[in-house]
Amino acid sequence: MNRRYFLKMAATLATAFGVGGLPGPVQAALKRLDPSQIPRLIFIQGLSCSGCSISLLQSTSPSPLEMITDYSQLLFHPNLSATSGKQAMALINDYVDGQAGEYFLAVEGSIPEAMPEACIIGHQPFAKLLERAAKTMTGAVAVGTCACNGGIPAAEGNPTGAVGLPEFFASRQVDKPVIQIPGCSVHPDWLWQTIVHLVQVGMPELVNGSPKLFFERTIHELCPRYHDFQQEIFAKKLGDRGCLFKLGCLGPVAYGDCPTRWWNGGQTWCIDCNAPCIGCVSPSFARKKNLPFYRLAELNGQEAH
Amino acid sequence: MRIEIGPVTRLEGHLNVLTTVKDNTIVEAQCVGEMFRGFEMILRGRDPLDAQQITQRICGVCPYAHAIASSYAQEQAFGLRPPPNGRIMHNLIQGANHLYDYLFHFYQLAALDFVDITAVLKYSGKDASLVKVRDWVKAELNSGRKYPAAPFLPRLEGRYIEDVDANVSAIKHYLEAMEVQKVANQASAIFGGKFPHATAIFPGGCTQEARIDLIASYRSKIKQVRHFIHEKYLPDVMAVAATFPEYWDIGASQGGFLSYGMLPRTPAPDSDRLMAGGVLFNGQVTDVDFERITQDIGHSKYSSASGQSVRNSAISPDPHKEGAYSWIKAPRYHGDMVEVGPAARIMVDYHQGHNPQIRQLVDHFIGQAGIRPAQLNSVLGRHLCRVICSVVIADFLLEECERLDPAKPTMAELVIPKEAEGFGATEASRGGLLHYLRLEDHKIATYECVVPTTWNASPQDDRGRPGAMESALVGTKVADPQQQIEANRIIRSFDPCMACSVH
Repeated sequence: MNRRYFLKMAATLATAFGVGGLPGPVQAALKRLDPSQIPRLIFIQGLSCSGCSISLLQSTSPSPLEMITDYSQLLFHPNLSATSGKQAMALINDYVDGQAGEYFLAVEGSIPEAMPEACIIGHQPFAKLLERAAKTMTGAVAVGTCACNGGIPAAEGNPTGAVGLPEFFASRQVDKPVIQIPGCSVHPDWLWQTIVHLVQVGMPELVNGSPKLFFERTIHELCPRYHDFQQEIFAKKLGDRGCLFKLGCLGPVAYGDCPTRWWNGGQTWCIDCNAPCIGCVSPSFARKKNLPFYRLAELNGQEAH
Repeated sequence: MRIEIGPVTRLEGHLNVLTTVKDNTIVEAQCVGEMFRGFEMILRGRDPLDAQQITQRICGVCPYAHAIASSYAQEQAFGLRPPPNGRIMHNLIQGANHLYDYLFHFYQLAALDFVDITAVLKYSGKDASLVKVRDWVKAELNSGRKYPAAPFLPRLEGRYIEDVDANVSAIKHYLEAMEVQKVANQASAIFGGKFPHATAIFPGGCTQEARIDLIASYRSKIKQVRHFIHEKYLPDVMAVAATFPEYWDIGASQGGFLSYGMLPRTPAPDSDRLMAGGVLFNGQVTDVDFERITQDIGHSKYSSASGQSVRNSAISPDPHKEGAYSWIKAPRYHGDMVEVGPAARIMVDYHQGHNPQIRQLVDHFIGQAGIRPAQLNSVLGRHLCRVICSVVIADFLLEECERLDPAKPTMAELVIPKEAEGFGATEASRGGLLHYLRLEDHKIATYECVVPTTWNASPQDDRGRPGAMESALVGTKVADPQQQIEANRIIRSFDPCMACSVH
């Protein structure tokens, strides 16, 4: 993302939430929560597994309920909304048609560009719904690696031509802010705390479209086993301690703060379980058939296959 | 009169249901899976160890079951037996995931079909969380906005629980369940690495160590969840049953039942499982034979051959296929339709007299409700069977975690053969889950998943016979044919997972 685009995005969001743009000494004083100024979210799912939605419900503090009542309002969510069927579509269409007020679009899952029939919502291809929403929404949040970059539905050999939201909007010249929160699934803090930031401080600083606060450095750089790497203490087989690099760990190419944030209430994360990072925050996550997650064959002295 | 009741919310993914209603009765129903990704095509040509990661992304609600089924299939293909700790960890991860899923399903997905959320406005007590919700709903209703109190309003018209105290108590438990489901997931993540989408599960075991601090933490969390199950979940399901007893007779599927059984007691491939597998027709249980599973696609959006066995499955998507109305295939067992899920799991075990605790719980609760065992095939039956599963699994997990041996390994060493094949079968919370893979030159040549909601939300087979959920909807009386809260309750009792069903 270039600086010009970033500033434009910051200005758009600042207007939407009535807060200053960049965090800085001047805007350091937190905005008080104002129920009339919180973002209203329409959450929709494309080629998705709901894993990001489920992950968002694993948030500890703030809790999911605080997030969807105090910091934002969840106008619609396919997994949680009481409403259903035509009544639900009427609500969604009301917003999408610009009849019900300002809203932010939260998108989970990718878009089947080459096969629009592969995702239908209320008789309409998901892609069409997004094109309509692009005209009325204040901005969008791409929730998870699928929405950011296509994710596993976009992996090699896929039949649907799945793409992420930024690419989809770019191809349709949609010029509205899209904040990207990658991860398969997203860590709940990454999305919720971005919203907290928007509400109380303003637009967070972004790197490659994602909040710098969470995605500035690689997992490898932050890894508590970085010392093992330097000392060349490598795990030789699955289940070993030590640096997991030789098993295929993708920490060196994955940008995220898992090593300091940890998961599920801060008590665990992949590498603490001796499980190599599979790079789920990376734009190229799972993309190529000939780039497996693990490199055990080489270690076992088998012919690399 | 043809009436659509989709997109149906409070379930996973993209489900539409087309009903034909005559004299306020559903006479025909079609379940339409509306989202397709093509996982089997994505898996072809990949390293087999990618599979237990990639298949978890079929479903972010029950990912662990996919990791387990994939691991079992690979273990069979590799001729690999995990050490006891490895299998125990698989069980601890999968079992805790089931507990979260049952709670999440009842409170967050299904309860709003029965509970009157507006009753919180009449709350006059001092409970902080209820006061907060009450004041929030009040402020929302006074805000003048078009859709106040979303996502809890609007809702479909229908009869909800009338008693204020019962509603308020259910709302309180809805809020508590939001917290407790996290605790169950934290427990599975202790050994799985994270939830959703665990990274520590492998064929041959688990990369996490059997550390005593982890075991203590796991035990404590499961105890907490177990307490909620006994003190809140179980009484709440029985309270709903007492208020809506007609739902013991609504939503019965019209075929057999299939369960693969779950939670093996030892690492042996043919180990006894906490819940036994089998196929149930007319009160008789037989062993499951994977060769008898075929998948019709006459009404599914694929141009590949219909009626293929799991081993020979292949898909070529055809979104405009004539006569096809769903992305879901129609799996059949020996040509017949079956239901999978908690009711199938419990009934298959109960009819074999396999697990004494299941027998005792079923007898106790059907006695309390005054129903016959066959009425477990109903909306309320499915809810009750989830509770029974949760009670049995929670007790098992507390014993199972004591069996971990901190001095012993948790992973077998992996060597991937050049050519091999394997089946892996377990129970996801939504029912029987089967993975099959065949390797050629160390890579995946075929991968096939037959997933719970593929069975339950299946379209008609090639002979025009409906799937389980379609059959359960037929004959249902609907007060308001446009909204059909009754059909919504039936659908949600199956807890459909559409991302799973098509994948």
